Amino acid sequence: MELAPHDPGSKQLRPDEPELDLYTIPSHSSWFLWDEIHETERIALKEFFDGRSISRTPKVYKEYRDFIINKYREDPARKLTFTEVRKSLVGDVTLLHKVFNFLEKWGLINFGANLGGNDGFVTWGEARCKVKVEEGVPNAVRVGANPSDSKPLSATPMVVDRGGGSVSRINLPPLASYSNVFGDLKKEGLVCSNCSGHCDSGHYEYDKGDFLLCIKCFENGNYGENKLKDDFKYNEAVEKSGSNGVEWTESETLLLLESVVKHGDDWDRVAQNVQTKTKVDCIAKLIDLPFGEDVLGSGHRKGKHGGFSGNLSGSKQLSSSECQETTKSQCHKQTNDSEQNGDAVNQGPPLKRQRIASLSDASSSLITQVSALPTMVGPHITAAAAEAAVNALCEETACPREIFNAEDDCVTNGLQSPTINCETERVLQLEDSEMKERPTESANQDALIKKDGIPPTLQIRAAIATGLGAAAAHAKLLADQEDREIEHLLATIIGTQMKKLHHKIKNVEELELNMKKEYAEIEEEEDFLLGERIGVIQKTFDAGVPRWRDHPCVKS
Amino acid sequence: MKGQAPKGSVKKFRMPTSQNLVPIRVDFEVEGQRFKDSFTWNPSDNDSEIVKFAKVTARDLKLSSAYEKAITSSIQSQVDYFRSFQGQDMYTGERIVPIKLDLRINHTLIRDQFLWDLNNFESDPEEFAKTLCADLGVHDPEVGPAIAFAIREQLYEIAVQNVASARESRLSKKGRRGGEHTPLSKASSTGLDLVKSFGHRSSVIRKRKEWDVYEPIVDLLSSEEVDALEAKEERNAR
Repeated sequence: MELAPHDPGSKQLRPDEPELDLYTIPSHSSWFLWDEIHETERIALKEFFDGRSISRTPKVYKEYRDFIINKYREDPARKLTFTEVRKSLVGDVTLLHKVFNFLEKWGLINFGANLGGNDGFVTWGEARCKVKVEEGVPNAVRVGANPSDSKPLSATPMVVDRGGGSVSRINLPPLASYSNVFGDLKKEGLVCSNCSGHCDSGHYEYDKGDFLLCIKCFENGNYGENKLKDDFKYNEAVEKSGSNGVEWTESETLLLLESVVKHGDDWDRVAQNVQTKTKVDCIAKLIDLPFGEDVLGSGHRKGKHGGFSGNLSGSKQLSSSECQETTKSQCHKQTNDSEQNGDAVNQGPPLKRQRIASLSDASSSLITQVSALPTMVGPHITAAAAEAAVNALCEETACPREIFNAEDDCVTNGLQSPTINCETERVLQLEDSEMKERPTESANQDALIKKDGIPPTLQIRAAIATGLGAAAAHAKLLADQEDREIEHLLATIIGTQMKKLHHKIKNVEELELNMKKEYAEIEEEEDFLLGERIGVIQKTFDAGVPRWRDHPCVKS
Repeated sequence: MKGQAPKGSVKKFRMPTSQNLVPIRVDFEVEGQRFKDSFTWNPSDNDSEIVKFAKVTARDLKLSSAYEKAITSSIQSQVDYFRSFQGQDMYTGERIVPIKLDLRINHTLIRDQFLWDLNNFESDPEEFAKTLCADLGVHDPEVGPAIAFAIREQLYEIAVQNVASARESRLSKKGRRGGEHTPLSKASSTGLDLVKSFGHRSSVIRKRKEWDVYEPIVDLLSSEEVDALEAKEERNAR
């Protein structure tokens, strides 16, 4: 992990490179967020949060904290001392000392310095936090005029896009540890991002982001979307860096696709449109795209369709990066919840892997994703979806259905080749599914040659339509299942409520019975008392009537 | 004390630090010889400890019993002075005071200034001094204790003033004669002063030009300079 010999022109910001503008904190401090105050801080430094003093507020604390950290970041190799900090901060030195000690204890400052000022000693277990200094720095450090503060601003989106894989976080101040914690987790297990398998013996690493490929995938050419072969380098045990590729952002790739659709082979104009890239870069990129040739072909014949697929791929990328984001935030929460250090590392990866396995991950190409969709459902559904797709296409483009039908035979022939893995699919395979496999399965070349009769645009459209149809069917199935489940649950709930009501009624009836009994008893008693009273009065009458007349008011 | 500090509670008098240690400065002349020393003392210790301490000191330094007595009485009177304040109320809200250091310990000259919350009962001058020495690379083992002692002395002085002025204000409740109240009103407003001193945009970061003022300065003196300074101090003392 030593500093790589950099090509200053291409600003590769690999997350595991100790760049000057990245900030490293230890894994046990992964709770730290630049724009928030964590519970740990609240507990350790109560005096700022009990609201007892106007000069000790969370805001003041944050200013203290940010200033101290930024002061350290001016020169991370040097150990920051308290004496140095306190001269620039207004406040009780005891309190300042407490804050300083807190930050130092958690490794938020003096972390690199404690390690002898060399990031090379940082082990894999440490979460590494990447930060663009320029963004999050309060005004005070700008005054400090440290040359390292004015590091590449232009590269900022790259860091966020690639390393964090999060689109929405671009505007937030950095030092957001979670993405980096996550990036590390991925590397921990060395899981192939393409096939989700372990690659213990060795792996290819993508230079511009957290992306690993196992040897198998690399040899098969499954580089994943938007990734160039040249940007991968083989890693056995030692990390080496150095890349000569050109970095493509997602927006640039989109732009490239759009301009290719518009201008076709006219690379000068394409490059002009892309602006940030040269002509050669554009060509290389397009060739390396898994479906680049298709787009080019379709761009020649029918611009509209190519644009459609380009747009689709763009939105797909977006959505997949979004779901990555959610996984990450989930994991981040988990990290916070669990113990600060090792546990997080242990718990993180399985969740991530599940996610990759179940969802079509961002790394595989659009076509692969689409082709994967039908395999999720039964063969009948796939067949039906394909049929429907072909029908719809025939209607729309008014091209004879025979084109498809004619191909049926040769396709089934082609399907006999052992490259298709799904057995059920093999039986019921229509040419669409076959076409979908085309970009990734290299062994199907002969079959492809045979059915060059169908225009690629149509192939792609049919393929996509099939995929979507299959997905819709699958979704319908799931929805139905969900419905049934809901009904079942509702029935259970109603049953339980009924039982409850029954019990209540029973209870009330019992109560009523009791009341009646009691009422009868009381009435009996009343009768008895009345009788007794009459008896007493009778006796008084019998004994001495005159006395009662004399004192009528005594007795009422 | 009432009403002036709605948020602060009232505490019985003690040293406004985590450890209730009183700075003791012994300085007297016996038999034509000057004896100077400074250290901290725990006022809750039994008075017999003072006698013991004096005895051991005299023996270690091979001094006569006259010294022993003088040391005992000096410590005793200072501890008693401290105890005379105990039991009195003390305002415990935030009170930021500037602490200024200008010390010479052997060959080390140290000048410093910082803000101290007088009523932060977690403060630890010894720890602060230790950090300061470590950060500045001062190796003389006497410097740290001397800094801590100087801080304690100033805190002690302000705390005593605080109590005295509180008592005064209680005595003269009826009439408000401004002059007498200045220290007290100052005490109650320093919390606000801190916020005011946050400066422009109410930032806790000090103005750059003030950084030097609050920065410690350490000078190492040569033996000649030390001698000259000592001679000067001697002259001033007389």
